[in-house]
Formats: sequence, C-alpha cells, structure tokens
Amino acid sequence: MNIRLTLSLALASLWHRRRVLALVCLTLTLSISLLLGIQYLRTEVRHSFTSTVSGTDLIIGARSGQLNLLLYTVFHIGDPTNNVSWDTFQSLEDDARIDWLIPISLGDSYRGYRVVGTDARFLEHFQYGQGTALELGEGRWFEGVFEVVLGARVAREFGHATGDSIVLSHGAGRTSFSNHEQTPFTVSGILESTGTPVDQAVYVSLAGIEAMHVGWESGVAIPGRTLTPDQASERDLTPSNLSAAYAGLKQRLLTFQVQRDINQFNREPLSAILPGVALSELWRLMGQFENVLLAITGLVIITSFIGLVAVLLSIQAQRAHEISILRATGASPRLIAALQVFECVVLGLVACALALALSALLVSALGPWLQSQYGLQIRLRPLNTSEWMLLAAVPVVAGLVGLIPALGAWFRSRSITLGSAPGE
Amino acid sequence: MKIRTQPDPQPASDTETLAIQTRSLEFQWQPRQKPLAFPDIHLLAGEHLFLHGPSGAGKSTFLSLLSGMLAPVTGSVTILGTELSALPASARDRFRANHLGVIFQQFNLVPYLTVLANVTLPCSLSKLRSKATAPNTDEEAHRLLSALAIPEGLWHRKVTQLSIGQQQRVAAARALIGAPGVILADEPTSALDTDNRDRFLKLLLNLADKRNTSVLFVSHDHRLASHFHHRVELSGGHA
Repeated sequence: MNIRLTLSLALASLWHRRRVLALVCLTLTLSISLLLGIQYLRTEVRHSFTSTVSGTDLIIGARSGQLNLLLYTVFHIGDPTNNVSWDTFQSLEDDARIDWLIPISLGDSYRGYRVVGTDARFLEHFQYGQGTALELGEGRWFEGVFEVVLGARVAREFGHATGDSIVLSHGAGRTSFSNHEQTPFTVSGILESTGTPVDQAVYVSLAGIEAMHVGWESGVAIPGRTLTPDQASERDLTPSNLSAAYAGLKQRLLTFQVQRDINQFNREPLSAILPGVALSELWRLMGQFENVLLAITGLVIITSFIGLVAVLLSIQAQRAHEISILRATGASPRLIAALQVFECVVLGLVACALALALSALLVSALGPWLQSQYGLQIRLRPLNTSEWMLLAAVPVVAGLVGLIPALGAWFRSRSITLGSAPGE
Repeated sequence: MKIRTQPDPQPASDTETLAIQTRSLEFQWQPRQKPLAFPDIHLLAGEHLFLHGPSGAGKSTFLSLLSGMLAPVTGSVTILGTELSALPASARDRFRANHLGVIFQQFNLVPYLTVLANVTLPCSLSKLRSKATAPNTDEEAHRLLSALAIPEGLWHRKVTQLSIGQQQRVAAARALIGAPGVILADEPTSALDTDNRDRFLKLLLNLADKRNTSVLFVSHDHRLASHFHHRVELSGGHA
C-alpha cells in the first residue's frame, strides 16, 4: 500500500468536500476546545484554590477540627468554636520558633461580608498564590481606631472609595438589625484584587473591634455607654481575646514540632493546622464536580464523533464511482479503506490544531478579564502530559471512527466490477 | 491497417507475444444461475480488438474478468504471459496497476484531483509505470495531454470543469501513461458525438501504437469496428 499516495488522495478528497466537512470539523473543534478548556481550568482553579493561603505555616485557633478552623479563618464560613485569650497569643509571640503572628478577630460583618480585626502584620506577612503579598490598590492601611480597609470585592460591589464612611453590623449575616451606628468607620484604603477570600472581607484594627463593642456587653447597644472617637483614643483598647492567628515559623522544619506543642498547650485547648494540607483536603471534598464536568465534556466529544460518522456515511454514496475508478486503476481494497481512515485522522488533527489555537486565543483574551473580575490567575502555559494525551486521543479515535465507513468501502470495493458503478 | 473479422486461430506458441489470451471462460454471479460463457481470445501484443455485443451480453463481466477484478469460475485469463486467473486478488490488483489501462463509458476521473493528477494516478500506484515515464512523469503526462488536444490551461484545473469529450480524452491519457501492455475500453465513445468519437478513437489507437499497447475496445456500435485489427462478437450465450 502506498502511504504517500493515500495521504495525498486523502488531503485532496478532504479539500474537495471542505464545505460539508467544515461543519463537522467545527463541531469537533468546539468540543475539543471545551475539553481542553475544562481540563485547563480545573487545574488552574485547583492551583488557585490550594494556594489561597501561602507563606503561612500554621493557623492557630481554639480546639476544633482542621476543616472547621480553615473554613472560618480563611473562607469566613461558619463561626469560631471558641476564642483564644490574649495572654495565650502573647505567650505564642514569645515563642522563639515563631517568626511572626497575625491576630485575627472575627464576629462582626459589613453588609454580609466579614469584618476581620487584625493589625499591620496582616498586610506585612499574609501571602497567597506563589508567595504574593497583599497590596493596597488605593489609600493606605488603617492607622486610627475607626479606620477600615476594604477587600477589592466589597469595594467594587458597593462602589466604595477611600474617605467613605461605613457602618458595621453586630454579628454575621447580611440583614443584621443591630448596627454599630454610634461608631462609623472611615475607609482608609482598598486592597488589590487577589482572587481569594481576602477580597470578601473588611479589615479593622483590634482596637476598633474593642471600641465599637464598648457598651454592647449585653448584646445590644446601651445608649450613653458607647464610645465616641475622642473617648476611644483615651481608653486602653487591648482586646481580651482573639479568634485565631496565622503563624509563620523561622524554620519550616519545626512546623510539626510547633504544631504538636500548640495542640498540647497546657493553659488553653488550642488547635494548629497546616493550611496547605487542610486546603488539599477541602478540595478533595469539593473537587468531585470537576470530574462530572469532565465526563460531560467527554459526552460532547462522543456526540461530535457520531456526527462525523453520520456525515461520512452519507458521503459514501457519492464516493462509489471514485472508488471504482481507483479500483480499476489498480488500487487495492486496503488502499480504499486506508483512504477513509486517513481522512478521519487528518480531520481530527486539523480539529486539534484549530482547538489549540482557539483555546490559546480565548485564554489570552479572557485572562486579564478573569483576573480583574474574579481574581482567577489564568495564563497561557504549556500543556501538561495528560492534556497532550487527551489531545492525541482525538486523531486516534477519529481513525477508529473512520474504520466504520472504511470497512464498508473495503467490502464493497472487493466486489466492484469494471464499469459496474460508473454510468450503469 | 489490417482488418480481420476473426481472431487469429493459430495459438501462439510463445505466450510472451500475446497481449490477451482466454480459454473457455465461464462466470456465474449466483451459484444457481446458468454460467455465462465467453469466447476465447488470442490477441497479439500491439494489436487492437473490437468486441461487439448488445447490452446485457455480459460485456462488463467479461472486462472485469480480463482486468482481474473478478475471478472466473472455469477457464483461464492470461494477460502478457501472466495467468491472471491463477493469482490471488491482491496480486491481480497489483498486476492491473502495472499492466492495464482502463477507460469507462463516463465518469472516468477522480473528481477531487486535477487533470494532471488524474493522468499520473497510475504512476503513483505502480512503480513499473512510473519507471516507464522516467525521467519525468509530469512531462510524459504533458506530452499525452497535448497529443490528446487538452488545452494547457486546463491541466491544473479540477476535472469537473471539463467537457465530456475532454474528460474521455483525459481518461485515455491516464490509460496510456506508463505504456501498459493492454488498455480495456468500455464504450468510451458512447457519450460522444460522431466527430468527437472518431477523433477520440484515432488519437487513442495512434498513441497506443506508439507505445506498443494493445487496445481491447467494447462497443455496441458496428461502425467503429473498421478501426481495429480484429473483431469478436459477444453473444451473451450461456454455456
């Protein structure tokens, strides 16, 4: 069998039928693009998810489960089971193995978004992604007691700018009825978008948290007992307890040792978790949807291949006389069959190339938009091995699909006689 | 040109010089059908044979047997000294590519190839015929197309842009290229008008003579017989 001839015939034949085949090729291209896109997105999203927090070696909170602690500290989902006392926090600060600590105090909200009480160490030490530090897009980090820094999403959703005055609510929830109206906060800065839950919170000082709760000891504001800004600056607003703390260690090697020591802390029941491990576990729980998505895409591809077979079979009638000419000229039934298979493989390859180009175009066009809107960092990257395998499977499957018309043509061309098809 | 109405009855002792030789050929399409019987043919290399037969006389079947696309039930087909009927199907395909040119009644050309690619198709399928056109297959195709009066402007066009007469002449060029020993022509002029028909025949036979190629020409039109050395009647009789 003559492979060069078969290939050149296949190319000429495909080009001749380009109008009919263009649609099949388009269907195939779109479904391959979808497959590539989903495969690509799921690795990027997983990557983005598991690097929601980076640089933090331990997250320390009251005794609870790993996921619970992760959910309320990092994702602001659920509530702390208990608090960590300020004394404990201070004794951790004295631990020589701990490089830095970020205090986290939760409990209030702003129009559905969590209020996080912290200090300048949050801006200084908190990292996400591949060790990216937080940056202020506008204004500066809070300094005064009644100043607030907004996450990018919060600022965008409510159209806030620096200098705006906002009122925080007592407790979590979007429709809290008890607002800290006596102690409004001024927006001092807005963080750059990060694509992490950092965007979905507002940040105030620990003193600010204390100050707005003076007079709220019974759970509601008692008139006359709340603080004015002037009074606040005169008072000692050191908190008595915190919700959690992020810790960075001097030596990574000591992580497990420090974790064990904190878990066995004598004065107070504490838990310390490794955020990377907890994030991976959380993704394992939630990540099932990606497999479902991939399965659906697989079905889409199968559908387009069925379309391809339908078109190929409908073309067969037209091909009868072409086949009898080739047979009369001395082409073997094997060559006739190979012609059909080659055509499908070439079609598959063309669709793959188009899909690659289309995906690359979409990623580079939509990348900046996704970054600014959702903080998803999606950049062009070389395909990994499994993606190449997926792509390579397309021409292979196309060749197998091509066997269906090829076998038919093979059988028919064996029984073709001279002059039986053309003209008669 | 000699005109004989009967094939030379004397069996050639040297089969090398025989283009086509058949002996008591029979074929049946269905097992229970009466087999079709075909006349014995002895055609010397370089000579041309006119095969006359009405429709339904089994012309296509006969040509399929001669070209090796069908194998006979009984009898033998020997082309250029090779007993075709004794070869397996794949060897018959190879033999056809190497030694036979075929022209149909119409729709002779592969629609998605250019005129030139259609003409050189046999050389792509057969090394032997490719060698016969050495050093340059395309130049030989050009020579044939020019000789068959196909305007040069059409050579690189799709065959669908050609008239029927032109298509048949391109088919003749394809059959002739690489100087095969035998050309089988199945009513190639039936779709042509008288002028075109005579022109086609003259060109085909003239070019075949130059290449020492035998032409076996099937037609229901008696008037064409005068162009050929021999004439055989296909009666369509059953054995």
